[in-house]
Amino acid sequence: MDEYFTIFIGIYLPYITLVVFIVAVIYNFFKWIFLPRPIMWAIFPAKKSLANILFTIATRIFSLPGPRKFDKLIFTLAWMFHIGLIVSLTLHAKYIFIPHLPYEYEVGTIAGMLAAIGSVGFIIRRYVDKRADSYFADYFALILLIITLSLGQYIRMFRVVESTHLWTWVQGILTLNPIPPPVNTLFLIHIVFAQIYMIYLPFKTLIHPIAIFYGQKIILDQRHFKG
Amino acid sequence: MKIEQIYKVFDEYRGLSDSKLHPTEPKSEQFLKAFRELLDKKNNWPFLLPLRLALEACTHCGTCAEACPVYIGSGRNKLYSPVYRADMLRKIYKRYFTLTGKVFGSLVGAKEVTEQDINAMAEAAYRCTICRRCVLACPFGLDNGLVMREMRKIFAELGIIPEELKEEGVDNQLRYGSAPKISYEALMNILDFVRGEIEENRKNVSIEIPVDKVGAKYLIINNAGDYLSFLDTIRGIVEVMNYVNVDWTFNSPRTGVFDNVNYGLFYSDKDMLRVIRAHLETINKLKPEYVVIGECGHAYDVLGHLMKDLIPAEERPFKVIHIVELYDKFLREGKLKLDKHKNAEPVTFHDSCKIGRCGGIYDEPRRVIVASCRDFREMYPNREYNYCCGGGGGFALMSKYNFLDFRMKTYGRLKMQQVKDTAASTLITICANCKRQFLDMVSYYNLNINVSGLSEVLANALVY
Ligand code: SF4
Ligand code: SF4
Repeated sequence: MDEYFTIFIGIYLPYITLVVFIVAVIYNFFKWIFLPRPIMWAIFPAKKSLANILFTIATRIFSLPGPRKFDKLIFTLAWMFHIGLIVSLTLHAKYIFIPHLPYEYEVGTIAGMLAAIGSVGFIIRRYVDKRADSYFADYFALILLIITLSLGQYIRMFRVVESTHLWTWVQGILTLNPIPPPVNTLFLIHIVFAQIYMIYLPFKTLIHPIAIFYGQKIILDQRHFKG
Repeated sequence: MKIEQIYKVFDEYRGLSDSKLHPTEPKSEQFLKAFRELLDKKNNWPFLLPLRLALEACTHCGTCAEACPVYIGSGRNKLYSPVYRADMLRKIYKRYFTLTGKVFGSLVGAKEVTEQDINAMAEAAYRCTICRRCVLACPFGLDNGLVMREMRKIFAELGIIPEELKEEGVDNQLRYGSAPKISYEALMNILDFVRGEIEENRKNVSIEIPVDKVGAKYLIINNAGDYLSFLDTIRGIVEVMNYVNVDWTFNSPRTGVFDNVNYGLFYSDKDMLRVIRAHLETINKLKPEYVVIGECGHAYDVLGHLMKDLIPAEERPFKVIHIVELYDKFLREGKLKLDKHKNAEPVTFHDSCKIGRCGGIYDEPRRVIVASCRDFREMYPNREYNYCCGGGGGFALMSKYNFLDFRMKTYGRLKMQQVKDTAASTLITICANCKRQFLDMVSYYNLNINVSGLSEVLANALVY
């Protein structure tokens, strides 16, 4: 029974997750791309060329000018959270190519902690903030992440699983020759939560890049249809 | 006069009369029908993308609240937080128009609509000046002002529109040529009076006020309210145009619409388009090279920007500029000889939302003010971050019941402090609705400050 369960989590679930993730991303992409281009509705100073608009969107993704000016706390938490998460995910993605990276233990630990502090900060802020109501869905992704991050942190710090085994497991999935994952209860729980998060991502969190692209483009674009 | 019962439907204020809101009548079916139509690509292509984004992508982080003058000015009352107001609509959107909302209900913030919700939303839509300052705060650029405008559009389909904007605004304008129903004779009398006044003040200067001239280079269309309430601005325009001696004209009700306002902008795309069409018909009769928007903000937003995407280029063979752009052009061409000591008192300038943040005009008024006033003081924040005066969204016209208290006690307080901090004795603004709001503020708070348009300040500095 345990063996079947491990195989389901480590071999079948990753494919289910990948399919759901890719289909949902494609659906979201088409859903938004087929909405009509809106009337010119810029906030000035705005931009007149597409290159300028795209460049400014790219810089705003990192500089977050709105939160930086109006809410320093969310700006700080957002930075910690996103940088931590991006670095953590990159260190996971390396298994596509190699089993080890120099300093990955130190970098991964710091990144995981940053992301965890950011997520906890977000949750506390949501709970005490009186400006907006938060719903279960708003907490859900954060709770999933906190669980996933804490387990991942534990696994990394105490070197619970062998990284070469992880690498061969990821390689197996990618080359369609899957092998069983490392058998460790905490690791298996970690990948279950990570995969639930990935399945949930396109329905909630992945709207962020779509929103930041279209939302910022609308307010930066001062081009009219016919000049 | 019938005394109407004021029901508390959202907060302690009311902007909509009972004869419009009908608070006891069921409206949910009509409401959902209008909401569905609002989400249709064909019906609402100009605004659907930003609307859907705001409805689906908001993370409820609350950052936008810190940019909202209504929220800040009210002492951070949650009811006036942009995200709280937008959420009123978002909950219903999720429940009726998304799969997750239908399946997971309140877990994702979805909610069945009630009649109380509908009444509350109708009022809540008129607690936002659509100044769009909150857009600057949102990390995604989501537009809660737009959501409020879309909410107003839903209610417009149910006939729930403030009389000041619909019957006394758009309907009057389309019927009489101007919202305040100024007749041709009255307009001519006013302009005669203006001519006489200038000629008396400026000895040896003869003034001409062309009206309804076909083919003039500049057709100046004013906010008709200026002919009644801000005659100094009209006097300023006439004096500057005579000084530079260019080919220009005003227009009158004989040519159609001579009021640049478009209150449809504040509640309905359909009415906004009706007014745009009426403007086009009038302008195309007069065939100017430039349509110059007199001192008005939202008129510039509609004719200077929105019209370009709504009307094909061949139907609008003219350019649209704001009068401050024209003054700036005259200044840069050396056509204006000015003595800034004639305006020696300290002045400050209010960036109107529709001219600055939504219109892109920031430097032109500053150049003209610096050239014509000795002591110019910026207010802070300014430019795109300036606080809305609170006259936007149609509010400058709305005072019935206790709505004036709302305007004054929330963002009005904040704005008043911002102006006071400059210690200026004159506040200059280039929008008639802003002027109205500031005048109301001056009398409500008994302030010792002169509210002025730019035209009269510039005219006063002219050297003959
Ligand atoms: S548009 Fe202006 S008034 Fe409306 S919510 Fe945004 S900041 Fe507040
Ligand atoms: S700042 Fe943007 S995402 Fe945050 S609550 Fe406001 S509208 Fe929503």
